[in-house]
Amino acid sequence: MAETRMNQVVEERVAGGVAWIRLNRPERMNALDAGLRRALVEAVKRAERDPEVKVVVLIGAGRAFCAGADVQEFADRTGTMPEIRQDYEALLTRLRTMPKPTIAALNGVAAGIGASLALACDLRYAVPEARFVEAFVNIGLTVDGGVSWTLPRLIGVGRALELFYTGRPLPAEEAERLGVVNRVVPADRLEPEVRELAERLASGPTRALGAIKRSVNHALDSTFEEAMDFEFHLQGVQMQGEDFREGVRAFLEKRAPRFQGR
Amino acid sequence: MEYEHILVERDGPVGVITLNRPRVLNALSPELIAELGHALDRLDADPGVGAAVLTGGEKVFAAGADIADMAERTAVDQLLRDQTGRWQAVTAFTKPLVAAVNGYALGGGCELALMCDLIVAGDTARFGQPEINLGIIPGAGGTQRWPRTVGKYVAMEINLLGQPIDARRAYRLGLVNRVVPAEVTVAVAVDLARQLAARAPLALRLAKEAVNRALETPLSEGLAAERKSFYFLFATEDQKEGMRAFLEKRRPEFKGR
Repeated sequence: MAETRMNQVVEERVAGGVAWIRLNRPERMNALDAGLRRALVEAVKRAERDPEVKVVVLIGAGRAFCAGADVQEFADRTGTMPEIRQDYEALLTRLRTMPKPTIAALNGVAAGIGASLALACDLRYAVPEARFVEAFVNIGLTVDGGVSWTLPRLIGVGRALELFYTGRPLPAEEAERLGVVNRVVPADRLEPEVRELAERLASGPTRALGAIKRSVNHALDSTFEEAMDFEFHLQGVQMQGEDFREGVRAFLEKRAPRFQGR
Repeated sequence: MEYEHILVERDGPVGVITLNRPRVLNALSPELIAELGHALDRLDADPGVGAAVLTGGEKVFAAGADIADMAERTAVDQLLRDQTGRWQAVTAFTKPLVAAVNGYALGGGCELALMCDLIVAGDTARFGQPEINLGIIPGAGGTQRWPRTVGKYVAMEINLLGQPIDARRAYRLGLVNRVVPAEVTVAVAVDLARQLAARAPLALRLAKEAVNRALETPLSEGLAAERKSFYFLFATEDQKEGMRAFLEKRRPEFKGR
């Protein structure tokens, strides 16, 4: 079943309904240059469109998740700002809105746009050595990659501003305590634990998972009443689905449900 | 008349028209517009129909014209075809017309949605006037109905920049009445149309006329016209029935008389 698609800088593998997208530029700590950025945009787009893919995992090769934008690219001016912006926005928006769970498996540091990528995902698992770095301020820059939106929603405005103002790295343990990271697991357990979670989700009622994500995203930008209205309509759609019938049947028969994602 | 480019169905008192050229994203050909006009005229004349829904289905409302066909036309060709002039049947419809928009409503498709009375948008809906990118401008009301709906500045952006906006922005701008999951857009529009169809038909018709007039006349004239329609409705059986039912704490049964 497993199918690996190798690109020099991104490794894509679909197994058990899960697309594993691995940033594979370990010698540069998976910093995003034009090549990696473009490959990542395409990989995420493919994962969104592939009906076999139910869950998407982002992970890094080597000791970093993603060290941010490759500063070399700015020095070389290989990409124009509008191009870079378009790629990042497509990538981050897609991760946040595609109706499939997205998980960042933080095998190491996530800095700058790397942190943005992780924060645009739905869930984050991290090794104890991982940390988030929002150090824009250290080079006289402001924040980008949507973190002004994502981080305050996860940890509150005061704590987010403190990190942005000081550039202090946020270690995995503290990130877990604050709710940025869902779980911290030992390095050798990261992939098994993420796989366990991702495959469990992928074999579950995946249309319901997509609906949950759509409802939560809609609610982030709604009044309570608008959110309830949207939820109500999607619930109606789910109630027409086979998974709901199976779920009810299994409940009544006191057995585990067998969901089809329909 | 058999329709080739649209589907017309009845759901109780609601007429549902579905643009049905999926392979060309429901591009609005003159033939489609002619069929649409014909279908709306028939629903308008049918006393069993209280309101209508206009939709393109679950994927797309209507996007794109046949650019290859249009590329070499002259101004005289366009004038003689008067394609956009034929859209009057849509605005001549006297009953409430609810648009159910999923996916793209671009160019003429967007203008068609703007001609409706209420708009229900799926979360996938995109509204826009990309004509400027082809060196032309909207020709079926885009430059006129956007400013009357969302004001000058957003209308300028839509018409001059040519970039579509999503359902949430359209909702915030007041272009859209509800944003719902795309799977239920048509159902929600039909439900809304059914609620409208339960209202007194003559009052509905005059209310629609009065609101539309508000966009065309000075306030004093609009108010005078509203007052006349208000007085006139006291000559209808439905007004007597409506008020009697209210006093008797029961549901009114309107007859459109």
